[in-house]
Amino acid sequence: MSAHTKSSYWSIFKNGLFGENPVFRLALSLCPAVAVTNKVKNGVLMGVAVLFVMVMVNATVSLIRNFINPKVRIPSYMFIIATWVTVTDLVIAAYSRAVYKEMGLYIMLIVAFAIVLSRAEVFAMRNKLLPSMIDGAGMGMGFLLALVILGVFRELLGSGTLWGVPVVQAKPLLIMVLPTGGFFAMGLVMGLLHWDDRKYFGGTGSGGGAH
Amino acid sequence: MKDMIKITLSLLAIFLAAGVVMGLTYKTTSPVKYIAEQKEKQEALRAMAPEADADGIKGAGAWTSHAKTYDYYEAKAGKRLVAYIASTAGKGYSSYIKMLVSLDPDLKIKDIKILGHGETPGLGDQIEEPAFIGQFKGKSLPQIVLVKVETKENIQAISGATISSRAVTNGVKDAVQMLVDQYGAGVKAVSKGHQAGHEGRK
Repeated sequence: MSAHTKSSYWSIFKNGLFGENPVFRLALSLCPAVAVTNKVKNGVLMGVAVLFVMVMVNATVSLIRNFINPKVRIPSYMFIIATWVTVTDLVIAAYSRAVYKEMGLYIMLIVAFAIVLSRAEVFAMRNKLLPSMIDGAGMGMGFLLALVILGVFRELLGSGTLWGVPVVQAKPLLIMVLPTGGFFAMGLVMGLLHWDDRKYFGGTGSGGGAH
Repeated sequence: MKDMIKITLSLLAIFLAAGVVMGLTYKTTSPVKYIAEQKEKQEALRAMAPEADADGIKGAGAWTSHAKTYDYYEAKAGKRLVAYIASTAGKGYSSYIKMLVSLDPDLKIKDIKILGHGETPGLGDQIEEPAFIGQFKGKSLPQIVLVKVETKENIQAISGATISSRAVTNGVKDAVQMLVDQYGAGVKAVSKGHQAGHEGRK
């Protein structure tokens, strides 16, 4: 992956969305994907925060990758991640109180997300600045997309609403907003994607990174 | 040996740089955050007693709950007392739920506002919804009891979020009890039932 053209940038971005979608393909960061997706809104807010942190972390790691001693890569990544998450938290807390009220609960959790750490190691450590940022954006968007899909599924069935607006007039399935429902939703969507992959793309097309 | 020094220096440099970035961010953002928080607090207090004068809400003292100190206030319009306001908290499922409670001069609940909490999104955070929090309005101390069935007289718990509902109810009850002890000479007899209200429902 040395010389990048426009189309290869797009394929890096798309890889995060579909081919190696963090939640449905790589099966990373499943814990937050279950924890925050009982409402679409929560999923979106979390996804946006992760998107920002991933772009910044990948950019930083890529910039100083020749300086990071390979023997202490992981502590270095952790510190870079923690720094960006803290900065995000402080800035939002000061300048955007309304958003902080909604998101404050989640931001600090991002420090421990496997997907952020894994992209720093797998991609940013081996690539130049621009492709690394695109990978961060793609993976972040993929995570956001996964959270929205799960959120729609769970909020619609579990609360009968979408983005807080009542849609279905029926007694909701409480189990869907509980963690159990999160696993149900995740398993079903994951299964659907793999089925689609096998049936229409011979196990390679829509996925590629399927495993 | 040479390796050890290299590793140490590399890590040290990263840690120092990160420390500087975080320090600078904190330095710039913390005054802004403090001012915003103070303003929010003032606005929240004003919203609890809208008919009070702009400078009519004055601190009246402090009280202790869950080993933390909270304030309470008297709100006046001219010389007439319009509300008592107390800040309070209840221990929820995964956080302390911070609230403001305001009482009419006749010691019935006027309004409640949840200031902050860390309850489960989608379950515990329903305590903020009017359907739950609105139940408190107009209730007097003996009525502040959490029940799991439909009720007009008491407070109905949110299904799936009983612990958070109980936390709010207890926090409100503590504050109302304190204000009643403080101001309601005639209503004092009720305070005996207070402790029983805390246990019992598990």
